[in-house]
Amino acid sequence: MLDKLNENELEVASKLVFDGMSMAKKSMEQILQSPIKMEKIDWSNEDVPLPKYQDSGDQSVHVIRTNLIGELKGTSHLIFSEDEVTKVLRACLPSSIVDSDTPESKMMKMGFLTEMDNMMAAAVITEFSNFLGLEIYGHVPSLEVVKASDLNTFIEKEVGALDAIVHFKALFHGQELDISPDFIWIFQEEFVDKIKDLV
Amino acid sequence: MSKKVLIVDDSIYMRSLIKSALEEAGLEVVGEAKDGETAIDLALDTQPDLITLDNILPDMMGFEILKVLRDQGLESKVIMISAVGQQTVVNKGKELGASEYIVKPFTSEALIEVVNRVM
Repeated sequence: MLDKLNENELEVASKLVFDGMSMAKKSMEQILQSPIKMEKIDWSNEDVPLPKYQDSGDQSVHVIRTNLIGELKGTSHLIFSEDEVTKVLRACLPSSIVDSDTPESKMMKMGFLTEMDNMMAAAVITEFSNFLGLEIYGHVPSLEVVKASDLNTFIEKEVGALDAIVHFKALFHGQELDISPDFIWIFQEEFVDKIKDLV
Repeated sequence: MSKKVLIVDDSIYMRSLIKSALEEAGLEVVGEAKDGETAIDLALDTQPDLITLDNILPDMMGFEILKVLRDQGLESKVIMISAVGQQTVVNKGKELGASEYIVKPFTSEALIEVVNRVM
């Protein structure tokens, strides 16, 4: 699908995605109070969006999803392994909450993760909205815990539901916290049309 | 007498963060709402001096809540606190009567500084 873009348009789209993901990285650093690197950004329309999870077996992954509302349809997924979730929560919440299993503590932990996704998604959306001149927002995020081996199927279902064909994904890395979350975005084809309109 | 505040945000984590910062600054939190309908009811019931208002809630946008409250004659100061940071959105919030618009993430110190400026 990206072959619909000429070289100039592809350059603009790539810069936009890079700028958006850079803002997300900055938000993540502010939230976690720890340096984060953007290891790579990848555009792909592969059958398997996140190959690294294919052989992860029964390990759980936390998928925090934000749907776009407004003039561009799409969805983002911030993905942490179970182990990474524990590290992030330990770094950012009091141990009285992290070590507790009360319903309120569980809600607080989930609330922290969804709020982090909310801010990161909004940082990307703000860049896109300003650049493309579109009214778009991220809806209230939701959290799902799925088996790592089922993650690609989970995302593919969403791609199908959106009739989406543009993916891009970033791999972040926080050395201090030892985390490497993925942040994958899926858009409908109109994303390409908007880029073409702009350029 | 301490100023009364209503906190509106769908995230329990964010409500807790805001509540703790405001109480430490000597304000009295008179209510918390996680959706628009509850926010409107609580705002009209408690008549707070200040409302911190998220812009994206499960049932409506903060803008809509602000408009309803102003139409009902509520004069509480409103600080919008949202991850949505487009300049057009910030401007719209102010046009509808918000005193300030804070883009998440933010620090407690920054929040208190804005609250002190507004109150």
